[in-house]
Amino acid sequence: MSAWGFYGQPIGEAESNPKSFNKILTFGIDRAYARAIANANKKAEFKPFAPSLTGVNLARIDACRDTINPIFDEDPRNVPIKDILNLCTKISGEMCRVCSDVQYAYVDSQTGISRELFCSTEGACIDQSYALTQGMVGVVAQKTGGIPEVCYDYLGDLRGWEVIKGKNVYKQSLADYALLRTHETLELTEVDFLPTIDDPVVVVTNPHFNALLVHEIVGHPTEADRVLKLETAYAGRSWLFRDYHDNELGKQIASPLVTAYSDPSVNGYGHYKYDAEGTPAKRVNLIENGVLKEFMNGREYAAILNHPPNGSMRATESNYVPLVRMTNTVFAKGNKPPAEIIAEVKEGYFIVNHRTPSISESRENFRISAQKVYKIENGKLTKLYRQGGITADSKDFLMNIDAVGNDFEVFPIPNCGKGQPMQIMRVGNGGPTLRSKARLTGHKES
Amino acid sequence: MITIEDLRNCVRNGIDFVKKQKDVVDAEIFASWNEHITVRLNYTSDIPCNGVHEPKSTQLGGIGLLVVFKTGKEIRVGFGSTSNNITTKGVVEAFNKARKNKIYDPDFRSLPVPLGKPALENYHDPAVMEISDEAIVDLGWRGLKGALTAYNQKQFNKSIIIGGDITIMKERMAVASTKGIDGFDESTILTANITSMIEKENVKGTGWNTSTHLSCFNPEDAGRESAESAIRTIGGERISSGIYNVVFGRQPVTDLFTNIVTPALSLSSINASDTPFLGKLGQKIASELLTVYDDGTIRGSIGSKKISCEGIPTGRTDLIHNGSLVGFLANNYLSKKLENKFVSFIPRNGFRFEKGGRSHEILPKVCPTNIVIEGKEEVPSQSLLSAIQDGIYIGRIWYTYPINGLAAGDFTSTIVADSYLVKGGKIIKPLKPNTVRINNNIMDILNNVIAVSSDKKQTIVWGGEETVLAPEIAVQNVTLDNISGFIA
Repeated sequence: MSAWGFYGQPIGEAESNPKSFNKILTFGIDRAYARAIANANKKAEFKPFAPSLTGVNLARIDACRDTINPIFDEDPRNVPIKDILNLCTKISGEMCRVCSDVQYAYVDSQTGISRELFCSTEGACIDQSYALTQGMVGVVAQKTGGIPEVCYDYLGDLRGWEVIKGKNVYKQSLADYALLRTHETLELTEVDFLPTIDDPVVVVTNPHFNALLVHEIVGHPTEADRVLKLETAYAGRSWLFRDYHDNELGKQIASPLVTAYSDPSVNGYGHYKYDAEGTPAKRVNLIENGVLKEFMNGREYAAILNHPPNGSMRATESNYVPLVRMTNTVFAKGNKPPAEIIAEVKEGYFIVNHRTPSISESRENFRISAQKVYKIENGKLTKLYRQGGITADSKDFLMNIDAVGNDFEVFPIPNCGKGQPMQIMRVGNGGPTLRSKARLTGHKES
Repeated sequence: MITIEDLRNCVRNGIDFVKKQKDVVDAEIFASWNEHITVRLNYTSDIPCNGVHEPKSTQLGGIGLLVVFKTGKEIRVGFGSTSNNITTKGVVEAFNKARKNKIYDPDFRSLPVPLGKPALENYHDPAVMEISDEAIVDLGWRGLKGALTAYNQKQFNKSIIIGGDITIMKERMAVASTKGIDGFDESTILTANITSMIEKENVKGTGWNTSTHLSCFNPEDAGRESAESAIRTIGGERISSGIYNVVFGRQPVTDLFTNIVTPALSLSSINASDTPFLGKLGQKIASELLTVYDDGTIRGSIGSKKISCEGIPTGRTDLIHNGSLVGFLANNYLSKKLENKFVSFIPRNGFRFEKGGRSHEILPKVCPTNIVIEGKEEVPSQSLLSAIQDGIYIGRIWYTYPINGLAAGDFTSTIVADSYLVKGGKIIKPLKPNTVRINNNIMDILNNVIAVSSDKKQTIVWGGEETVLAPEIAVQNVTLDNISGFIA
């Protein structure tokens, strides 16, 4: 029987010493082979007691040979580290000087190019390079005697240093973005906590909030390794697939207004041309008009499910095992202006910008906090609250969506954790403004 | 494999080199080699699978160099690292990066100075350092066998899922500085974390086993424990939303401490003003029944280390004593930045845990080692059920996060396995998994502790850095919400 064996190691100074690369590679191949053989022998030994054990079967793909060059206006390699240090120091100083209630300001910035070479015995040889530039800001503000208000957020794209200067989803330089977040955080220290409300209310969620929502309740449960139970001990299973005969494929799981897809071919943190198995990346239609259509997969999972492979396997670094990962996973754009979506609400809440998620094991229920929550009264935003969010059963929330905006944004999510050892992956998530129903969650005073 | 002697020579020679360089005031050089081996399990009785999905490993090693420069009248600090190269050439490369990166840091006081002698020596297992590929693979199949055998003995062979992993960590490091630090450390860690399910019964069980030595490591036990726990929870029932008295089992206690309490007891959270304990040193923050400390010297515990990544001997740092906040976890940088004439912090917890090892690529963070939770008057586990009388025994929670930031204290989590309804001080029936969300403030949990068990077990959770010597804890007035009504 066939079985997997892996070995990983960072290559370190390979560029300055190509001989060390060959040495590491040869050693790694030998170790991976020894592990695969040992594993295959044990699998064969166990097979009589565990009939579902099978050899490794990979869905067929064309072996590609290609070179992908990074895209940038300002080459990350030409940005002096001093400039990055000075920028971060300057911005964090400016954040602190906004007001003495700013207790802590954090800024980091990175820019670089990563290059990966993939070769296989099937004949593939793919040399892919991508630029990545990111800025992160953190601010903690506190009124005397009050509870601190904390905000962490990111901007970034798979491009060069121009991202920091404003070529990003926010269309703001890192400095302007940091100051905006600082002012917003300070504003929140002055307002009331959102009260928890036990019955569902009308909620309008903005694209930034929906980036995390689609990530947690659509993206993760449509990863084929979860579907096939490989994440049961870690990040959980998927309520969309109990077994071959009992699952939600082809069924209505969301309002007919809802379409969601995962597309690595467009710009965003989830962009690439080939995945870590050499499969050409393609758009995966996850939900079409409310009906569950496809899962993101890799070659082995595609073969098990008898689905076509769609190139969704990625590893954080090449020395880690690839997992099924979101790409640019989004709710599709609708046709209603966001202002109209809010104007139609007699009484409800506007949930602005995501903060922290907590999701049930099979992604069937969620609680996600927001940076800001506004009360909507007679179509107008009235009162601002802090420390709020929403909770709902995923299917209820998706089925109750009755308006989808004609706005659309894809945000960088740099820190999606999955696997063991945990891999932190960059993905793109987003969508338009949505309107549905959920319970409000607030701060619980001790 | 890089030896301790290689690493010690690297840091000592490195310091000699850096001392001779222009403008250098002080320097600290850290070198490490780590191997992180994972054998991932995935057995699904009704879906084609690999059983042991894959044995895999990754390595991490190199040099991290922190240099204090004098530029004119100003002190500047720079950090540089090189991977997979502990030769003089690697030191030079790291030094050049440190020089290029140097910056004025108004909060930097000085590098660590030597502080006492280590309590722990020779606590690693050479057999783990030399483990073969065949033996690695065998550990995975042994874990799987433990669970499969337990299911088969009870005639369960369909709808079975067995997942989790066997993890082996090998760590070697050496550190030296111009301040007189000259230390090394070598540790081995073995963990088995196995989760298994009978999916059609909607039951899940958890089992785990930890050791520093191969001879005491038993992955079969973890597998068997997971299966037995899943079988015990067949026929679970929902509860209605409300306020309950609960017993938190060892895994939930560990989850709450790893994700909420311990991060809030770190000087890094104090530094960021992001903790509910800010300004509360010396004050009551928890039930007087509760005492918590960090202790990196416990022989046989997988969180133990001889020295920190700054070369400081590990030891006991008291955090909460009889309900009062008495200390914080500290590294050198923050201990010096935040000390004043009234309070000081011993920097025992400056570690560079990253990517499954002691990483040369980063500066020391504040990391716990073994978090020990004790009760003022500990009781046997069975007495905890008597303490709550009617309520819920919670055996496993999941996705626990400080939902509104650490400082607010709000957290949420769902109950996913190993849990029961309690009536009259006795377990009466299982709780249906994935049907309850916990929504609370951690300050309420800490203050509403009514009993702590005397039985403790080394426990770790996914993504956590520390080991918790976890008791079971009874807590009153916990808000539980019935969720996921659309799932039958």
